[in-house]
Amino acid sequence: MLDRSIIHLNVTDFAVAVERLQDSSLKRMPIIVAPQQAARALVYDMSEEAYGDGVRKGMRLDRARRYCRRARILMPRHKLYRKAMGALVSKVIHYTPLLEQGEEDGHLFMDVTGTHRLFGPAPDIAWRLRKQVLKELGLDPVWSLASNKLVSKVASRMVRPLGEYIVGAGEEAEFLAPLPLSLLPGLSCKEVGLLRDFNLERIGQLAQLNREQLAVPFRGRGEYLYDASRGQDRTPVLPGGTADTKFSREYHFEGDVVEQRELQGVLTSLVHEIGRQLRQEGKVGQRIGVSLTYSDGRVAVRQATQAGGTDNDFHLRQLALTALSRAWQRRIRIRSCVLACDRLLPRSRQQTLFVLRSCRELQQEKMVTAMDAVCARFGSGSLRLGTAL
Amino acid sequence: MFPLSLHSYYSLMRGTSSPARLCQLAKELGYSGLALTDCDTLSGLWPFLAACKQEKLRPLVGAEITEPGSDERVICLVKDSTGYINLCNLISRRKRAGNFSLEKQVGEYGDGLLVLSRSSVLLQSLQKQGIDLAADLGSWPTEQGGRLRRWAEGRNIPAVATPAAALGEEKDRDLFLLMQAIRTNSRLEPETEKGRPVPAWLEAPSVYRDRFAVWPGVVAASRHLAERCSFSGPSFGIVMPPWKGKGQDVAAALHRDAYRGACKRYGTDLSEAVVERLEYELRVIDSMGFSSYFLVVRDIVHRSQGKKNHRPARICGRGSGAASLVAYCLEITNVCPLKHNLYFERFLNPGRLDPPDIDIDFAWDERDAVLDQVLQEYGSHAAMVSTHVCFQPRMAIRETAKAFGMPPGEISGLSKRISGLRRERGKTLLSSLQNLPALKGEKLVSPWPQIVALASRLIGIPRHISVHPGGVVITPGAVTDYVPVETAAKGVPVIQWDKDSAEEAGLVKIDLLGNRSLGVIRDTIAAIEESGCSFDEEYWQPEDDIQTRKTVAEGRTMGCFYIESPAMRLLQQKAGTGDFEQLVLQSSIIRPAANDFVREYVRRLHGGEWLHLHPQLAEVLDETFGLMVYQEDVSRVAVALAGFSHARADGLRKVLSKKDRELRLRDYQQEFDGGCAARGVDAETRKKLWQMMMSFDGYSFCKPHSASYARVSFQAAWLKTHYPAEFMAAVISNQGGYYSTFAYVSEAKRLGLRVLPPCVNESEIRWKGKGSKKSIRVGLMAVKGISTEVMGRIIKCRQKQSYTSGVDFWQRVQPPKDESRALIQAGALDGVTTEKNRTRLFWELSQFHCLARRQKSTPLFGVQLPDAPHLQPLAPRELLRREYRMLGFFCKGHPLLLCGVKLQGRTRASELVHCKGKQVSFAGWLLSGKLVSTKSGEAMEFLTFEDETGVVETTFFPRVYRRYASHLFAGCPYMLRGRVEEEYGAITLTVEGVRRL
Repeated sequence: MLDRSIIHLNVTDFAVAVERLQDSSLKRMPIIVAPQQAARALVYDMSEEAYGDGVRKGMRLDRARRYCRRARILMPRHKLYRKAMGALVSKVIHYTPLLEQGEEDGHLFMDVTGTHRLFGPAPDIAWRLRKQVLKELGLDPVWSLASNKLVSKVASRMVRPLGEYIVGAGEEAEFLAPLPLSLLPGLSCKEVGLLRDFNLERIGQLAQLNREQLAVPFRGRGEYLYDASRGQDRTPVLPGGTADTKFSREYHFEGDVVEQRELQGVLTSLVHEIGRQLRQEGKVGQRIGVSLTYSDGRVAVRQATQAGGTDNDFHLRQLALTALSRAWQRRIRIRSCVLACDRLLPRSRQQTLFVLRSCRELQQEKMVTAMDAVCARFGSGSLRLGTAL
Repeated sequence: MFPLSLHSYYSLMRGTSSPARLCQLAKELGYSGLALTDCDTLSGLWPFLAACKQEKLRPLVGAEITEPGSDERVICLVKDSTGYINLCNLISRRKRAGNFSLEKQVGEYGDGLLVLSRSSVLLQSLQKQGIDLAADLGSWPTEQGGRLRRWAEGRNIPAVATPAAALGEEKDRDLFLLMQAIRTNSRLEPETEKGRPVPAWLEAPSVYRDRFAVWPGVVAASRHLAERCSFSGPSFGIVMPPWKGKGQDVAAALHRDAYRGACKRYGTDLSEAVVERLEYELRVIDSMGFSSYFLVVRDIVHRSQGKKNHRPARICGRGSGAASLVAYCLEITNVCPLKHNLYFERFLNPGRLDPPDIDIDFAWDERDAVLDQVLQEYGSHAAMVSTHVCFQPRMAIRETAKAFGMPPGEISGLSKRISGLRRERGKTLLSSLQNLPALKGEKLVSPWPQIVALASRLIGIPRHISVHPGGVVITPGAVTDYVPVETAAKGVPVIQWDKDSAEEAGLVKIDLLGNRSLGVIRDTIAAIEESGCSFDEEYWQPEDDIQTRKTVAEGRTMGCFYIESPAMRLLQQKAGTGDFEQLVLQSSIIRPAANDFVREYVRRLHGGEWLHLHPQLAEVLDETFGLMVYQEDVSRVAVALAGFSHARADGLRKVLSKKDRELRLRDYQQEFDGGCAARGVDAETRKKLWQMMMSFDGYSFCKPHSASYARVSFQAAWLKTHYPAEFMAAVISNQGGYYSTFAYVSEAKRLGLRVLPPCVNESEIRWKGKGSKKSIRVGLMAVKGISTEVMGRIIKCRQKQSYTSGVDFWQRVQPPKDESRALIQAGALDGVTTEKNRTRLFWELSQFHCLARRQKSTPLFGVQLPDAPHLQPLAPRELLRREYRMLGFFCKGHPLLLCGVKLQGRTRASELVHCKGKQVSFAGWLLSGKLVSTKSGEAMEFLTFEDETGVVETTFFPRVYRRYASHLFAGCPYMLRGRVEEEYGAITLTVEGVRRL
């Protein structure tokens, strides 16, 4: 089997890097990106300097400010970051279609296996890409090359915030052995605790345990740890957008909210967006799921279903509200919510023969059609249901 | 209009205003009286009656009775004293019986009551049972009300408009919504136009007249109905517990038993002083009808020991009752009132109108059994007194924050740092909060300001009813004929009145309290006897022991009852006397508002010059160096200088400890001033005397109480001096002392004891001290997260054979995995392995559970684990870190020493005595702190630190405290910079700078 060549490209502190591109005076200054007008905002991203002072992602902004009083606070500009991410992808896409990317986080995995004849050796591709991205976008990414995603990611973690690393095929275990276990991705807190109990601190120490031994404390996860500690990872690079099995929308509140009415309004807006997508693609969804992130970071997910599916905003909204009431069981404020619609079916063009629809239902259908028409002409936000306000 | 249905905040989260505020509002609105109809309770009866008296309003006693599981409810108004008894029984039934039906129970207890209902079905049924009824139309004419009115007219039942108010005023609406959110454990949602019932508030009579103009007569009916209720509050007189004396004359029985006890205490040849005092006390007791009370308390105390007429060894009769020679002779108390010159009038005097109480302490873990015995014996005639738990600033902020949906971590993070928060006069709670030094540099962002603003309005409102720590009332008839009774969460019957209301009603309370130090003394003596030493308590006089006096005089009393706090230890060091009389005085003079007098006392004790403020005070204050030290000194000074009667002087003493004293105090001050002036006392002296009286603000003790406590303190100090290992083990095992286990373990090490680590083969559940080996063994109870069941199994399973390996232990004890991990981390399983390699033990634990998983049960026989991989043992520092996490202390060494080079240049605690007046750097581990206010209201703190050589008391004056308060946490190491101060031999450090190590 052909040795794979996976490049991991990572622009560290992506949001900060993009902001510094926009304003060169921000260079070498501690930066915190957070929605500062919200009373209870969380840190979205921070520069290396602020990190050094103890600021972390997801930390409360007021605490972050105390840790790093000299930091400049910037508002997150998600559109700008998405645009920058798009630009980054556009530079990379020429080298390989096998490209796995985060939404706006500056992470990219590229599978360049077999592109030798087209673009030369993989390290050359990585060098070239870095130079190109630096020259054309002004971003200076870390890159690493290895035979799989796991090792390339560990290599990037090791060299960040600047640099590059190549792990040759067959050298993975040797490369990982002296590194601390904290660099190994995918370990849960409980697993880290267990490893500490056994006084295992380096990846190499973990690699000395065989499969049977690892199964003792870690059960099924022992397999993963066995492979990971030896630098073995067979997961493919997954190009985004291929799995089209659900539609979802996410909303982050600037602070956090406790009023049900506000949350219901946001869900209504998200329902409208998903409803439009369903209707545009001629599909109906049978299940609506609501995922709530509480202020303390815990997540609750609940669903509501409708047999046969629907693409009607009013029905979808009802399902979403049912799922919401099931999900919001704790007496705690909400930071963000995700609305997802899955179990998609193609919409039947045939009208039902035996079930008579009420006048109200017909009116609602007409209204949704009219709203779609207005939105199509004047933009998606031009018309909304009153409950979404 | 006469308002016939109103909730006060005693409806517990169903009403917003106090009875006093409701009465004030009713007066302002022009009502002649009002009815208080709290929800299933008469908790607010006495404050309501007092407020009506104050506002000159006519009170109507009543309650709203609800039916569990339905929305049905009725208003019951008391017409006469039979109605009152019935209402108490009805509420008790509602609160205590599972199957409660309004239809049935109101019918049963309806005699003497006027019942208002909104349900025609219920009215119809009750009418058939002959109950006096009215149809309640509520505060608005509604369609449903119209139907009810028509229906009532047809059946000759009066229909009446009622305010049905849960709020005093309209502005309380948001407070009411918050209360609902707290009560129902839900999120606070803003009041919307739809979907939420708007609570009603008390409005002016004209509003109701206009509103109900469409239904003539329904407003006037309220007056007519009110006139039918002539009952204006219960009057029982003083309700004494009945003595079950089998037909004996109570006074004669008390006389006989008191003399019998006196002979036992003083020998058969009683001195004239004893006889005189006994006769005087017996006369007063008899004339006031208190004979049965003494005998009942005696019976309770003696029965609790299981042996009648035997000296109760482990009680401490305290409070003013300890001033009674009769109580001493009946062996209810342990200090001789004659020897210590205790003032009997503080307890009982002929003019005293309110009932005094006798407080008895039992060992904390024996108290519940005593209570159960009393409640069982007296049945329906006994119940405990309740405590109305009111919102305090911290609780109010926490509950409001929960209703606002704040995350638990954020709430606890804030509430941990606001322990000293109190609402200052003239300031909002928010500004008081923001001024807290512990929150320095933190900005309270939205929604915290809203939370605090709303929370401030909750303060003082009763949240729920709880059980008084030990107050019991015993009544001649069933308790439910006097006051409604509920069942508390722990299953005991509890009356709906708190101690003040019970006292107002005339119910005499007996306090049976739990005291941890009695448990400590009991356990220490048991351990001494177990080790083979003989110990005769009968002739135990710790006060006369020279070594014990030295311990007390040097302030080496950490762990000793009542004299272990830093303030007390410093005072003992400064006084340097160590004798019983001075200890009695010291434990009373240490009180929040008496700092200046403490200093003056020490000065005078050491021979400083002083004069009585007035020559007439010589008789009263001679033994206290001219200072008012005890509660009764206030009364005695008032009697001696201002000509107060005993009863009036006692009233002044009592009012000083009340929260709402200001108004009443003004009258007393005028009277005191007038009385003194009439006896020629000059204005300057009067002012100084009054100031000294005001130092009794907050809590203070009477001499009999201090003397009783001092005796227990001396017993503890004696045990610590002579049997330190057994004593320290008992202190830690009984928990609940002033300091943390960490501090007590350090003290044990300073006493030269070895602290042996926990061990599944050696440790008992409790700590065990062995004086012969100069060691204490850590008890299994010290390991965090170990359940009582597992501890019991560990002890039981090792009785046959000690544990030989980890597997052997897990196999026989079968502890849950997390508890096994805790035991390994604490080092409790080190003794069962040869290698003492805890990582290996962790691995074997995983293997054991893996095997159990595969076999789907815990392996019972001959488990052979496969060889473990080679795992490095944990580094010594990591081992200590884990041990500390599990135990909260180090068995060997001091955590401060882990700071290594950071400790360079420090002065140790033991060296401070040589550095008087010098600037030093001291590295200390923060143990505890006491937040106080300066005269100008600024916060400052006395903090206790220790290093491996000793304990150091430090002072953080306001400026330094403001700067460092937010960085100071108990259980952390700090480098302190400051000046060593010395006062009468006591060394303290005045801190100027702090650095976290």
